[in-house]
Amino acid sequence: MEKIQPYAVLAVDDNLLNLKMIEKSLSKEGYQVFVAGNGSEGRSIAREKHPDLILLDIDMPGENGFDVIRKLKQNPATSLIPVIFLTGISDVNAKLKGFDLGAVDYITKPFHPLEVLARVRIHLKLSIATNSLIQVQAAKLLQVSEAQTAMLPVPENFPAARFGVYYKALEEAGGDFYEILHIREFIIGYFVADFSGHDISTSYLTPSIKALLAQNCTPLYSPRESMKMVNAVLKEILPEEKYLTACYLHLNRSTMTMTLVNAGHPPAAYLPVRGDPFLVKSQGDILGMFSDAQFGIDRIKVSKGDRFFVYSDGLVESVGHKNNWMAGARKLLPLFKDLQQFSCRDAPDRLVLQLSAENTPLEDDIVVLCIEV
Amino acid sequence: MDYKHLADQLDMDESDVLELVALFMDTARTDLEKIRQGMSFGNPCQAASAAHSLKGAAGNLGFTHMADLAAKMESAANGGSLEGFDAYVGDMETRLDALPPT
Repeated sequence: MEKIQPYAVLAVDDNLLNLKMIEKSLSKEGYQVFVAGNGSEGRSIAREKHPDLILLDIDMPGENGFDVIRKLKQNPATSLIPVIFLTGISDVNAKLKGFDLGAVDYITKPFHPLEVLARVRIHLKLSIATNSLIQVQAAKLLQVSEAQTAMLPVPENFPAARFGVYYKALEEAGGDFYEILHIREFIIGYFVADFSGHDISTSYLTPSIKALLAQNCTPLYSPRESMKMVNAVLKEILPEEKYLTACYLHLNRSTMTMTLVNAGHPPAAYLPVRGDPFLVKSQGDILGMFSDAQFGIDRIKVSKGDRFFVYSDGLVESVGHKNNWMAGARKLLPLFKDLQQFSCRDAPDRLVLQLSAENTPLEDDIVVLCIEV
Repeated sequence: MDYKHLADQLDMDESDVLELVALFMDTARTDLEKIRQGMSFGNPCQAASAAHSLKGAAGNLGFTHMADLAAKMESAANGGSLEGFDAYVGDMETRLDALPPT
C-alpha cells in the first residue's frame, strides 16, 4: 500500500511545555511535528522542511513572532505557508498586527490541545482547498490554450487556400485569432483578429466568433455585408469594453479579385509579382463596439503569384512602432519583399525568425498570415 | 489533584500528561530560581520574563492558581516592582510541592 505523507506542522515557542503539549497532541493525530525553541531556529526549519502550517508564539526573547512572520513572508520559499499565532487573550493589538503581517488565525493562550488541533485542521483544509483551486485553474487555462490552438486552421488542411501562418500566444489565453473560410472552391476568406485584452473571457469567445464567421461569410453576402453582420452580433454578445480589431481578406481566384475589409486593424501588405509592394491602407471602425460601424474597403485585381501579408499589431509593435501602425508596417515592407525566395507556407516563420535574429522583442501575441494568389 | 482527571480534561493520554507535569515541575522550579535571581539583583525584567514563562506553562496545564500568581508577578515586574515577591514565590513553591508525584 502506498504510504500517505503526513501533514507537517512546525511549532515555534520559547516555552518548552507549550511545545511539548503541541507536539504530543498533534503527533497522536498523525501529524509530523517539528519544534523550535526560538524564532531563528523556526525560520531555519521552515526553509528546510517546508511544513504545511506553522504555529508561532509572538512573545519570544530575541527574534519575536512578528519578526519571524515578516521574514517568512519575505522569503518565497516560506511565504505561502499558513501561520497561526499563539497570543495572550487580551492582546488585541498583537492579534491585529499578526493578521496585518499575513497570519491566517490566532490561538489564545492558555490553549487547549483540542483547540490547537481544530484550528490546525481547518487551516490545513483551507490551504489544501486554495492550492487545489490554483492547480485546477492552471490546468483549465492550459486546456483553453490547447483548445484555442486546436481551433486554428492549419495550412495542411486547406491546400486550396495557399497560405502560411505563424501563431504565438504569449499567455495561456491568447488575444489573437485567425480563421480560414472555405466559401467556394475558388473563393476563400482569410480572417485575422485581435481581441482587446488577453483574459480568459475573450478566449471563450473564440468558438462563437468561429461560428459567427461560418454563418455570415457565405456566397450570399459581400465581404462588407459579412463583416456588418458579424459586427452587429458581436455588439450584442461581447462584454462591455471588449472589441476586436480585424482584417477580412476575401480572395476570389476565379475573378482574380481581392477584397479587403479593415476594422481598426494594422494595414495588410500587398506584394504583386510585378511592381512594388504597398500597404492596403483603408481604415475602418473596430468590430463589436458600434452598431453603425464603417469599414475600410479595398478591391485589387490580382495576378497569379501575388502575395498578401495580414498580421496582428504584435508584429508592427515588434519593430518599435507601438503607436504608429502605418510607420511600423512601412518598416516591414522590405522584410516582406525579402521573403519572396521562400514558399508562402514558410514565409511567416522565416519572418519571425529574422525578427528574433535582429533581437527584436516579441512582446505581444502575434499572428502572421501569408496568402498567395 | 488527580492526573487522570487532568488527562480527560485535556483529551490526552495519562502517560503524556504525567510527562508534561514532570516537565512543568522542572521548568517551574527553574523559572522560580530566575525570579529569585531577579529579586536578588533588583532585575524586574528577568523576573517578568520567567514569570511569563511560568504563567504560560501553568495555564496550559489548567493550574489556574499558579497561572494567576505568575500573572500577578509578571504584571508587577513589568511595571518595575518586585514588591511582595517573597510571598508570591513562597506561595508558588507550596503549590508546586503539593502536586502529587508523577
